[in-house]
Amino acid sequence: MFVHLQGPWNPVWGRLSLQAIPYHNPILVGTFLFAVVIALAAVGAVLYFRAGPYLWREWLTTVDHKKIGVMYCLLGLVMLFRGFADALMIRTQQAIAVGPHSPGYLGALHGYLTPFHIGQVYTAHGLIMVVFAATPLLVGIMNIIVPLQIGARDMAYPYLNALGFWLTAAAAGLVMLSLFVGNFAHGGWYGFLPYFELPYSPGVGVDYWMWAFQLSAVGTTLGSINLIATIVKMRAPGMTWMRMPIFTWASLSTNLIALTSFPVLMVSLALLGLDRYFGTHFYTAGNGGNLMLYNDLFWVWGHPEVYFLILPAFGMMSEIIPTFSEKTLFGYTTMVVASFAIGGVSWGVWLHHFFTMAAEPSVNSFYSVTTMLVGIPTGVKVFNWIFTMYRGRVRFELPMMWAVLALFLLLVGGMSGMMNAFAANDYMWHNGVFVVAHFHMMVLLIAASIFGAVEYWFPKIFGFKLEQRWGKWFFWFMVLGTAWVFVPMFILGFTGMTRRLDYVPYTQWAPYLRVMLVGMAFYVIALVFFFAHLYVSLRDRVKNRVGADPWGTSRNLEWMTHSPVPAYNFAYIPHVHARDEWAWRKENGVASLANESFEDIHMPRNTGVPVLLGALSFVLCFGLIWRIWWLSAASLALVVLVIIVRSFARNTDEVITAKTVAGVEGAVDDALPSAARG
Amino acid sequence: MSKRGIKGAIKALCAPLLLMLNGCSKSGLYLLEPEGTISRVTHHYFNLDVGIMLLIIIPTALLSVWAMWRYRKGGGGSYRPDWSHSWFIEAVVWGIPLITVGVLSYLSVKAIYKVNPYNPGALAHQEAAAGKPLEVDVIVTDWRWLFIYPGQRIASVNHLVLPVGVPVHFRLTSTSVVNDFIIPQLVGMIDVIPGMRTKQTLEASKTGHYVGFSADYSGAGLSWMNFETQTVTKAKFAQWVKKTQAAPHNMTDAAFNLFAKPYISIDHRPMVFGHVQSGLFDYVVHEVMSGKVWPTPTAMTENMVKYMNKQQANVKAGDY
Amino acid sequence: MSSTTDTRIQPGSTVLWDKGDAAGHDILGTRTFGFWLYMLTDAMVYAAFFAAFGVLAHNAGLNSKSVLAAVFNAQGAYRETIALFASVLAYGYAMVALKKGSRSGVAVGTVVALVLGLVFLGMVSGDMERLFGQGIVPQSNGFLSIVFTLIIYHALHIIVGAIWMLVMLAQMGRDGFTSNVVYRLINLRIFWHFQAVIWVFIFVFVYLQGKVI
Ligand code: HEA
Ligand code: HEA
Ligand code: CUA
Ligand SMILES: [Cu+2]
Repeated sequence: MFVHLQGPWNPVWGRLSLQAIPYHNPILVGTFLFAVVIALAAVGAVLYFRAGPYLWREWLTTVDHKKIGVMYCLLGLVMLFRGFADALMIRTQQAIAVGPHSPGYLGALHGYLTPFHIGQVYTAHGLIMVVFAATPLLVGIMNIIVPLQIGARDMAYPYLNALGFWLTAAAAGLVMLSLFVGNFAHGGWYGFLPYFELPYSPGVGVDYWMWAFQLSAVGTTLGSINLIATIVKMRAPGMTWMRMPIFTWASLSTNLIALTSFPVLMVSLALLGLDRYFGTHFYTAGNGGNLMLYNDLFWVWGHPEVYFLILPAFGMMSEIIPTFSEKTLFGYTTMVVASFAIGGVSWGVWLHHFFTMAAEPSVNSFYSVTTMLVGIPTGVKVFNWIFTMYRGRVRFELPMMWAVLALFLLLVGGMSGMMNAFAANDYMWHNGVFVVAHFHMMVLLIAASIFGAVEYWFPKIFGFKLEQRWGKWFFWFMVLGTAWVFVPMFILGFTGMTRRLDYVPYTQWAPYLRVMLVGMAFYVIALVFFFAHLYVSLRDRVKNRVGADPWGTSRNLEWMTHSPVPAYNFAYIPHVHARDEWAWRKENGVASLANESFEDIHMPRNTGVPVLLGALSFVLCFGLIWRIWWLSAASLALVVLVIIVRSFARNTDEVITAKTVAGVEGAVDDALPSAARG
Repeated sequence: MSKRGIKGAIKALCAPLLLMLNGCSKSGLYLLEPEGTISRVTHHYFNLDVGIMLLIIIPTALLSVWAMWRYRKGGGGSYRPDWSHSWFIEAVVWGIPLITVGVLSYLSVKAIYKVNPYNPGALAHQEAAAGKPLEVDVIVTDWRWLFIYPGQRIASVNHLVLPVGVPVHFRLTSTSVVNDFIIPQLVGMIDVIPGMRTKQTLEASKTGHYVGFSADYSGAGLSWMNFETQTVTKAKFAQWVKKTQAAPHNMTDAAFNLFAKPYISIDHRPMVFGHVQSGLFDYVVHEVMSGKVWPTPTAMTENMVKYMNKQQANVKAGDY
Repeated sequence: MSSTTDTRIQPGSTVLWDKGDAAGHDILGTRTFGFWLYMLTDAMVYAAFFAAFGVLAHNAGLNSKSVLAAVFNAQGAYRETIALFASVLAYGYAMVALKKGSRSGVAVGTVVALVLGLVFLGMVSGDMERLFGQGIVPQSNGFLSIVFTLIIYHALHIIVGAIWMLVMLAQMGRDGFTSNVVYRLINLRIFWHFQAVIWVFIFVFVYLQGKVI
């Protein structure tokens, strides 16, 4: 029933053997040692501080949306770091391996990475950055902020929320594991067919890629169901649709995209899986397969996915800019309409990722035009932000600086995106580094918004502000790095240089490649400042303690509860009277958080089941990757069993008593800024 | 944001741009130096597109800088915290992009028809005048280019020779995975798909040497998968054809099955075939459609250099 | 127009906080709403499968007439249809009983639905066995790959539904109509009806259209 494989297989270990461990590759051995040191340090710290039970009780088994959100963000940051390490390798390789006389090290003809190795590096970089860094960071922030913004005590399905997180974490774990056991796919993050079929990619790399991707897709889909239901069903009394904070609107539109597009991704990957495991002919070149079917299915997800990433980023900018312009957002209604317009149009543009596939000119024309249409609502957003600052009082604190950077990156990325959408141009540089430069402007915009959002909402979650000095150094060196890496890359785009080169044949491109290396150095310095920023902030956390509304000019519900937010979010659910409720209360002098009497609050109880399911899915996929059938079968059976058993559980809730609530409320010291005192 | 900060940022942003100045026409900015009929049309539309986009992006950037500056805290701008709506502005911010996108769409559609690989509007005139176009069949293997001239019954590997001023019609297919055919200074990309046939059309306007490569990731040999395009006068082309027809090697269906085995062109060994079995192109398309594959050995992907050394030894022994 | 959009504050009469436990949101409504969203994702999965079918059907010609005739056994499929629809109907009666609060009614309806679902499964797997026996397998070509995948994916749903029914019978027996049990029964209805709807699509687009190809 299963297909024939190159290489050995046995029923107990599947394809797994000692050869799968890349001990002969010094880079991977070094990485492994690094990982071991970090892991030992982490485990050691946990043991030393006897934090194990605490971690298990308060974090790993939590169903609190804020804690899950924080874990999402931590996962995203770690993966961002990994993705950055990959980017460093790509850039150094391409700076060395230029021209036929360039030196080669470590078994590579030129540079120090073989095609097989660098292929894994950029594939992992792309997948990690999109799916395991940007997505978890955005989902994490939505997870934390949306319930607060709509005045809810939790998400609609707290248990599902934890499950979504642990599936994503398991998927990220698979990608990391591929470093040390086996290898990763080496053909690009979105997969090429038929290149990813067994005859051309015989190893386990593609399987790692496929299952990690698949698992994360399941996690994200569950997350989107949860967020949509939360927004639709859990809003505080008085919060009509048109009073919803703009970030919540952005979350709603983005999760509608996820809800409808991720299933298509799952199908595109599943059919590949059937080809690779059972020898069907979905995407093969011969036997009635259709490899273009993959492109269509993948990009029907892939394009909406990039808007899935950008819409929450836009939402963050739309929260930060009014706060630091000390003014209402300009054109709220248009902003909402624009978000949904972007989400809607995103469904009809996917073919622009393969304009060169010899479609009829009428077809290319259609998709060229629909793609450019997205520029209209996006432009509206840009102008609305500008008119928000207009007649405002703009303060350039760190969150605002990131938001402004994001705005400029959007102009550059949007301009280059529109140039791609002009299909005749794309014929010249499709799969070239111009496209790479285009989307890095966009994804760095997302990164910038995320950094801004973290600076902005951090005090809400942790109760103290991040310090500003090192943060600004971090900011400026990120700007420098971005300029020095991506401006040369745009220029290289005009040389026609293609993507994914292991070796660069034309020496006249060398100067650009070297300048980009300088940019990478700036990024490395930025990273150092990032750690300084983090360290100093943590050190001074008592000094930087803040009250409910640390920025003084914030406008939405989330600033109406204590910082850090208590487990139950709001001791009393607020009634909403206006679009920017908190601003409204401040203006009307009813900004007090103080309550006298309290009531019992029902909350879901923590549970270890989601962690268990995440771990089992990890094992399930591991078994499938290495074709250890008994292991997969066993873990699948266990997954089903665990789900069934859990459905019989009766006491899944607990009560926080009025007394406890009173204690918590009494203990917090809301040093309200003067503006809020009314 | 301090003043010095802004200045520093601007300087840093500009430094990489200065790079552009150090290259003259041989800077390798191939897309900006078109030398074929099609590529020149593309370039023309590229200029229009960029111009129009800049017309809107630059004022937007300036407007945002102005707003930030004018209305910074402590600056001179008037503060109107509750101003958040204006029908006029809303109309303008929807209207301007709408009009721009309208114009761009019109141009884009026009350009697509002008450079349509199958039947480029830009060549319609020449096609009628020039009489018979030159036919070239391109077969891509892992990782070499085989250019077959069916009319002349010759073939050449990794080296494409074209006459100037004659429209050239390509038919393309691949033996294994998808590649993308491009000669940046002459014509844009077209996918080369196994089991299928795609087409491309171009016309060179000057004699010269141009680079061409594959733009779609196709495996370990991609980085070395470039070919040289030489454009010559019609007379020189006829000479070249004659000379090639005298070459000893024969490309038959059987020979092709050997040739199509994975091979990385690090040595860029040129090769010509004085005779090609007719119908080879259709034979390859048909074989692939019926399920034939030339698989990549694991050893080759995972340890290219070692594999290549073995391969070089084989070449000496007379294998392809 | 500022944040103060509409309401001006009325001292004394403006409610600022909701005393009372708002965690008691409409649980049933929230649960079924989420399940509808989940069904939407499943519908998207099927939509993608059908799109793949539409693309790969162009290659149906790779199969001989006799192979196609064996695969598109419309009469067999018709019998399968009847079994599945009867099962859905039985579950519909269980839902009527649920409205009346009759535990035995729900149990009987569910058991009948379960049995009929298993009958359907038996027929489908018999059909598969027959085809495999004739050497007609998903590995033959792209067209057969998608045909088998669609049918088997649907059958997997039926298996999940069957397990679900067993679980519900057990939970109903243990707990009676608690809110957990009720929303799960309602969601199962959505799920089960959906499988019938999908089967209609499979019947029309695969079996009947396949007959025409
Ligand atoms: C969200 C997406 C994202 C992000 C943020 C990035 C960020 C970067 N990328 Fe990436 N990239 C992709 C998505 C992304 N990329 C994709 C999808 C591809 C295509 C892959 C393919 O071809 O298949 C790609 C390909 C790609 C290539 C092309 C390779 C090629 O085809 O030739 C290059 C080359 O330079 C590159 C470089 C960079 C660089 C220098 C950054 C820098 O901007 C990185 C800067 C980041 C930092 C400096 C991070 C700092 C880290 C922290 C602050 C966290 C620290 C925290 C802890 C340790 C807890 N990327
Ligand atoms: C978050 C990520 C993100 C975002 C937001 C976008 C936004 C856009 N993208 Fe991008 N894109 C990617 C991520 C993103 N893209 C990635 C990852 C890839 C490659 C994947 C891979 O191959 O690995 C890609 C590839 C890609 C291609 C395919 C290129 C190729 O492979 O050959 C195209 C082609 O049309 C394209 C176009 C666009 C357009 C038109 C927009 C628009 O949405 C931009 C709209 C914005 C503006 C236009 C600026 C603001 C507007 C104004 C100031 C108003 C005035 C403007 C006008 C009047 C037009 N993108
Ligand atoms: Cu052939 Cu797309
Ligand atoms: Cu896109």
